[in-house]
Amino acid sequence: MASLRLEHISKMFGRTTVLDDISLHAADGEFVVLLGPSGCGKSTLLRIIAGLEQQTSGTVRIGEEIVDALPPRERDIAMVFQQYALYPHLTVRENLAFGLKMRKEPPAVIEARLAEVAKLLEIEDLLDRKPKELSGGQRQRVAMGRAIVRKPKLFLFDEPLSNLDARLRASMRVELKKLHRRLQATIVYVTHDQVEAMTLGDTIVILDQGRIQQIGAPEQIYQEPSNPFVASFIGSPPMNLIEGQIRCVEEGFEFRAGNFVLGLPLRSGEASRLDGKPAILGIRPEDIALSAPPTPSVERPATIDLIENLGADCLVYLIVDGQRLIARASSVPPQQAGETCTVFMSFSKFHVFIDGRRIA
Amino acid sequence: MTRTRGEHVLLWGGILLAVGGSLFPFLWLVSTSLKSPIYVEAIPPTWWPDGSLVFYRNVLFEHRLFDYMINSAIVAGSTTGLALLVATPAAYALARLRLPGTAWILRGLLCVAMFPQIVIAGPVWRMLERLGGLNTHWGLVLPYVALTLPLAVWILATFFNDLPRELEEAASIDGCTTGQTLMYVMLPLAVPGLFTAAILTFIYAWNEFFFALLILTDPAKHTLPVGIALFQGEFTMPWGEIAAASVLATLPLIVVVLLFQRGIIGGLSAGAIKG
Ligand SMILES: Nc1ncnc2c1ncn2[C@@H]1O[C@H](COP(=O)(O)OP(=O)(O)O)[C@@H](O)[C@H]1O
Ligand SMILES: [Mg+2]
Repeated sequence: MASLRLEHISKMFGRTTVLDDISLHAADGEFVVLLGPSGCGKSTLLRIIAGLEQQTSGTVRIGEEIVDALPPRERDIAMVFQQYALYPHLTVRENLAFGLKMRKEPPAVIEARLAEVAKLLEIEDLLDRKPKELSGGQRQRVAMGRAIVRKPKLFLFDEPLSNLDARLRASMRVELKKLHRRLQATIVYVTHDQVEAMTLGDTIVILDQGRIQQIGAPEQIYQEPSNPFVASFIGSPPMNLIEGQIRCVEEGFEFRAGNFVLGLPLRSGEASRLDGKPAILGIRPEDIALSAPPTPSVERPATIDLIENLGADCLVYLIVDGQRLIARASSVPPQQAGETCTVFMSFSKFHVFIDGRRIA
Repeated sequence: MTRTRGEHVLLWGGILLAVGGSLFPFLWLVSTSLKSPIYVEAIPPTWWPDGSLVFYRNVLFEHRLFDYMINSAIVAGSTTGLALLVATPAAYALARLRLPGTAWILRGLLCVAMFPQIVIAGPVWRMLERLGGLNTHWGLVLPYVALTLPLAVWILATFFNDLPRELEEAASIDGCTTGQTLMYVMLPLAVPGLFTAAILTFIYAWNEFFFALLILTDPAKHTLPVGIALFQGEFTMPWGEIAAASVLATLPLIVVVLLFQRGIIGGLSAGAIKG
């Protein structure tokens, strides 16, 4: 295993900049997830790490060695592709052994590794089949096995679960997590699925339009999104974002959007600079309560527009002072749609963004 | 959708016409080859042969049909082997290297393939004369390879193009050089394409008449088409012998095609790449 360091990676395809000054570090044994919407450059970044694509500028280091000039076969990495890319003319056994044979490992070593990996992934019964005789989930396992069997320095996964149905995806996710714990491998994992990112990653790197938006642990990214993009991208349903203005008032600050006015827990030092600035206020649905919470909070009258019962909890669509907000409640409220209620919002859970950056 | 009676009649009529039309001359040839000499030019013609093998005995033992067949096998076999050997890497490069103008190179190849042969006959003859290739088998194989290459490259490039790039990328990550990727991953998957190109090249070289007549003048070196054509005497036209020889000349081709056809079908099912 080895660490990975990207320094100022940029990539242009013709005149379009697909990646812009990407720097990040994955420690030895770390599970790093690249998360972002489709087309943001995740696969391109992964392919640059693999050596399948050449960066326009910047440096890739694997275990401190600069690998920019090395072809993929000399980088000692393994990659699991979205479409699996199993060799269709080879059996599962031959697929798994292919990379070892190419690296001229002795047959005894190949046999031993094969047996070990087949057992780990529970694919012993499939070894003599061709890929076309496997189900999607089985192909996925074989693709994973082909990567693991090589014991590379670095694993690269490009949306490996996106072709599986929802149930299989959930169970593979759990297995991947266990696998990582067992192998202690350095993994760079690309996905556009925030659930995969939150559950698998030690570190999440959020990409949008070729730029890093935020790097952090899952909790940090969830609790302190650094800009409105990250705030709205992570969380389901997404964070309520309200566009308005900051105002200086006697008691401190307030946020205004039409009739919607809230006091803000900002320190007063920056008063003159913030007064009158356009701002975005963010409140997560679970931070809007329909009954009084123990923490200090503001209350507002609200009209219930719609109630969606999800079973475990329910989503309440509200109109508060002319703003549409979604709240997540642990139980169905006694009121009907169209009736009024009182909502409570905790000060400490407000997110405030000015000029696209988080200030609280 | 169900077809009406009329459509059925039309469909089957079309199929029968196509099959019958293309088979008739060959069946007539077979029939003639199996007749006794007196029936060959009989009027009215007899449709059903009397089963005589005189002509077959004649072509095999009095003419040198067997030698011609061996010559043809050498020439067609070497042409096929050589053409595939050159066409495969060329096609792979054209299909995969991200070079500018590969599309135009491919189009150019197709244009070259359509050149009338008579136009290049003179220059080819002169070149071979310089090289000392006249009246040698390799002297015939050389222009055959040149003439069949464009089609072979075209067919193989189409096949390589249809194979997913991810497979090559997986191979390169697994430790393959470009050559190893071609050898262990791409070629096995392009088997149907290889067989298709091989069949077409082989048929061309087996049947080609014009260059064979031009380049090989020594009767001992003649290939089948030329050898058979030269059965014809100054005043006689030995129809029966020509028919028998033609039937014998076609048999190996049918065998080859049937063999390769199985390869094509096998290759197609082995190449299930999707998913
Ligand atoms: N070979 C290429 N040539 C030109 N543009 C490309 C190429 N590969 C990717 N792109 C473009 O780069 C952007 C990022 O692509 P990609 O890395 O595949 O995104 P993601 O994996 O995040 O969905 C896309 O807009 C895509 O169209
Ligand atoms: Mg992608």
